[in-house]
Amino acid sequence: MNCLRESAIVAYAETKIMEKSDRDVWELDAEVLDALLERSGFEKAEIDGLVMAGFGLTAAGESFWAQVTADQLGLELDYCDQVHIGGCSATGSVARAAAAIDAGLCTTVLLLFADTGVAENNRGDRSFRREWADPYGVFGPPDAFGLLTRRYEHQYGLDYEMLGKLAVTQRAHAMLNDNACEKLRKPITIDDYLNSRMIADPIRLLDCVMRCDAASGLLMTSRRRAREKGIDKFVTPIGYGERTNFLGGENFVDVTRSGHEVCGKRALAQAGLALRDVASFHPYDDFIIAIMLQLEAFGFCGPGQGVQFIREMNFAFDGDLPLNTGGGQISAGQAACCSHNLTEAVRQLMGEGGARQVRNTANALVSGIGWINYSRNWGTSSALVLAPNA
Amino acid sequence: MATATPDLLNDTFDVRRAIKPSSFTQPFWAATREKKLVIQYCRATGKYQHYPRPTSIFTGRKTDIEWREVSGRGEIFSWTVVRRAAAAFRGHEPYVVASVTLDVGVNVIANLVNCALDEVCIGMKVVPYWLPIDDGMHLLMFQPEQ
Repeated sequence: MNCLRESAIVAYAETKIMEKSDRDVWELDAEVLDALLERSGFEKAEIDGLVMAGFGLTAAGESFWAQVTADQLGLELDYCDQVHIGGCSATGSVARAAAAIDAGLCTTVLLLFADTGVAENNRGDRSFRREWADPYGVFGPPDAFGLLTRRYEHQYGLDYEMLGKLAVTQRAHAMLNDNACEKLRKPITIDDYLNSRMIADPIRLLDCVMRCDAASGLLMTSRRRAREKGIDKFVTPIGYGERTNFLGGENFVDVTRSGHEVCGKRALAQAGLALRDVASFHPYDDFIIAIMLQLEAFGFCGPGQGVQFIREMNFAFDGDLPLNTGGGQISAGQAACCSHNLTEAVRQLMGEGGARQVRNTANALVSGIGWINYSRNWGTSSALVLAPNA
Repeated sequence: MATATPDLLNDTFDVRRAIKPSSFTQPFWAATREKKLVIQYCRATGKYQHYPRPTSIFTGRKTDIEWREVSGRGEIFSWTVVRRAAAAFRGHEPYVVASVTLDVGVNVIANLVNCALDEVCIGMKVVPYWLPIDDGMHLLMFQPEQ
């Protein structure tokens, strides 16, 4: 039994992605709530669940974040939760909201992904980093991906022009996305990518995501409740998989492998889809090579065949396998608890992609990557398959 | 007009480090006072693990863990050049962060020192370089085996 299918995403909303917000994070929350109520026709009093993504730099340090936010927004709730799996928190929130609805804990859930971490970063760090990374000046994600990329190149060879092709494709999509961060809405070429300055060799500037401020949100309810409300345009989660600490019980792992190997298969099996059925792909992108690693881990191509696959495919919104049609995080800005690729997929399946609308809206595959661990690739991998009115 | 300059590597020796060992990592840091490298070993599975954990990552039983002194010899698993550092290391760029596979089969992340950029390669043999830090402890780094 697939309880996910009994839930419905009836509305999405997002603020523009900003280099730095001059408005408080709760004001962005309020803007998202307002838009969700306006678009769905729901009243605030009908919302009885709140799921907030826990990857918030502004929220960090406040142990009661979901509750204080509910209070700010005047929400009275039967279910209040915060999902803490880093960049997988947005996709993970959809699965958890669906489970809560299915379990009868609540009927209508506000999913909030809001962060103003550039303007107000309250993050602390209590991880292996204190003793085993900080003393070496390991900066974090760029250095980890530098190590990962160098190792990949050693094992399989790597044509950086093909990574550049992905960067250029996503940038072209951001040009069509009015909500993308303005600073990033300038066209780039493969040469621009190759010539961008090194940050942590072989990671270049144009491999990297830029942290921004924004908020987005979804309103989810049961399929039955959506029908009762006369809503016939909604998006349903039909498959989900998640794996934290992939190979966590081993002492030496191939860093080019990730938990997407297992959670991708699981999500697609639950959705009843084969990879060839995937209509558009919205992978988590903190570094360009993460997209290629996911193409391999999901099984679009074999290990080490990512470059060849990229060479053969057209990833434009009107191409063979539309990729991060809103620009991805790298070209739209990493913001709103890394929910951008998720809200973009929902928008596409509702047929509201505008100038970048994909042709095939049968489904969309969204993924997450959460946290950077020690001498591996990343902490959590997630995969979410969405379908319109399925 | 930019001119080509040799890509020189820096070290990070004079960065101030304040290490606060946790209750279960004390043996590692204590051993560094004598420039000895100890790694956690799981008696039940016969495997080593690093970084140090509060229990065996293989069995979940803390009583399976003991500390064993190892040679510290290894080879470069991967490496990167940090060109934009965190605040405490700003101004020391570029320097190398390497992942080193010890001969007991675990990867250790550390700085690679006493090595020119064009010498660094995956598979290069390395040995420990111990940097003195506070309280008589040393920080494990690596340098090319000579």
